[in-house]
Amino acid sequence: MVSVLEFENVTKEYRSFPGRRLLRALDRFTLKVETGEILGFLGPNGAGKSTAIHLAMGFMRPTSGAGRLLGQHFGHAPTRRRVGFLAENVALYHRRAESLVRFYGALNRMSGSHLAKRTRQVLEMVGLQDDLNRNVGKFSRGMLQRVGLAQAMVNDPELLILDEPTSALDPLARVAVRELLLNARAAGKTIFLSSHLLSEVELVCDRVAVLHRGRLVRMGKTVDLLQASAQMEIVARGIAAACFDGAVTRDGVVSFSVPANQQQAALERVWNLGGEVVSVNPLRRSLEEVFLEVTADPSSPDSERAL
Amino acid sequence: MMPVVLIAINFVREQRWPILVLLLWVLLLAFLGLVTDVRQQREDLLFVFNSVAVYVVAFSIFFGGSAIYNERRSRRILCVLSKAVGRQQYLSGLVLGVTLASAIYCFALGITGSWTLGEAGFPVTQVWYLMLCLVAACTLAGTVALTFSTFLNPFLAAGATATVLGLPALAGRFLGPQWAYVIPVWPLAAKVVQSSFDSPGAASWFPLALAATETLGFWLLAARIFSYVDIAVAVE
Repeated sequence: MVSVLEFENVTKEYRSFPGRRLLRALDRFTLKVETGEILGFLGPNGAGKSTAIHLAMGFMRPTSGAGRLLGQHFGHAPTRRRVGFLAENVALYHRRAESLVRFYGALNRMSGSHLAKRTRQVLEMVGLQDDLNRNVGKFSRGMLQRVGLAQAMVNDPELLILDEPTSALDPLARVAVRELLLNARAAGKTIFLSSHLLSEVELVCDRVAVLHRGRLVRMGKTVDLLQASAQMEIVARGIAAACFDGAVTRDGVVSFSVPANQQQAALERVWNLGGEVVSVNPLRRSLEEVFLEVTADPSSPDSERAL
Repeated sequence: MMPVVLIAINFVREQRWPILVLLLWVLLLAFLGLVTDVRQQREDLLFVFNSVAVYVVAFSIFFGGSAIYNERRSRRILCVLSKAVGRQQYLSGLVLGVTLASAIYCFALGITGSWTLGEAGFPVTQVWYLMLCLVAACTLAGTVALTFSTFLNPFLAAGATATVLGLPALAGRFLGPQWAYVIPVWPLAAKVVQSSFDSPGAASWFPLALAATETLGFWLLAARIFSYVDIAVAVE
């Protein structure tokens, strides 16, 4: 796999005025985003997500460390022609939607009928085909976000860097954007998705990176993260729930969880009690649980392990 | 070149209301030309023309000094610089935008001045030469303001610009006229302000060439400084 976006030991410190307290937004941050994946970039407010994204886009310079965007150093302007970017709380000029997207496309050296066709195509993709001639100054926040997404995709980028792309969208629009992201991945695009909407991330991302206080505290495949619990869930019938700690009865079956290293003993016990094992599965957690776990105590050695 | 032109046109579009307000002064001159006897009132007309002309220099400082700040504060700069637009190109677009904004005003003033003052006996070619001086002064003043605005807020940038442009003018007054040409905004503006029917002034290309060279110098300096500036402060 080729990395399309790489951070290598990147540190970013802010000191807005001499003598003021130094704020370290990123601390020796290292991350690689591989071609064709959707990588979810998570972290609480102030974790340094937007800082990392702004460094990648060349909006600011790292205090130390370096990074590469599509093989070029951060800040290499011609490379950004192959990148689509949507900022958090996107701010756009007050123009007609179509004219605005064309303007951003033209900044990426697009022109003529190709630009006109692509502009209409992306606006249709985000569901704004009926609002082409409306001024974006009169758009709702959700519509603005959709225009923002359209301008990010107008150049048919290889890499999409999206900072909270669905935060202002209604559930229907969220589903549409989710489909759009999955289609983009199917077309070979890479997506770097920063979001607080963990359920969205869980649904679309191949891998997840969790940032906390400027440091990468968890990184791994989404499936692995969700199944990383050392607990197994056993469902059995023909036994009493009272036989196992924390067991519950539902629809005539008893379910309970045990540590993975005790599953054999638990299964034998079910059989010894005359019961029948219906299923044994690794206990699946939600991304929210993983997120809360790793951001609760960043100093814990366990929370810094890479999967 | 394409992004530079697009950014410049977009800048003018964003500044359309201040430009329209400025153009009201030109309308005033046109109105006076219509309702007065231009031959009888020619000194008054010239006074209005001279006064109205120099306002645009102050507006250029305002345009240049606030451009980056406004774009950063509104965060609209992020979408522009996320495209294949280098910082030097972005600044070039702003310099061209300031020039275009002042050129629109000067063109309108030139048309009105040619009609009103020309009818009163002022040489029309000199009107256009003065407008050229004014555009050069505006471009240089706007670029100086833009240079300061890369690291100062608009008020401080405007103050610093006024100081940098004013000191050579003071030096020219007390130490010798050649000192005024260190940064030739004042000599160029003075050509407009001090022109009269008796002495419309001689067309000299030296201050124009000097202003163009210094604009290039300040633009390079601004680009150098701006390449080190963090343009986005994290929302967090």
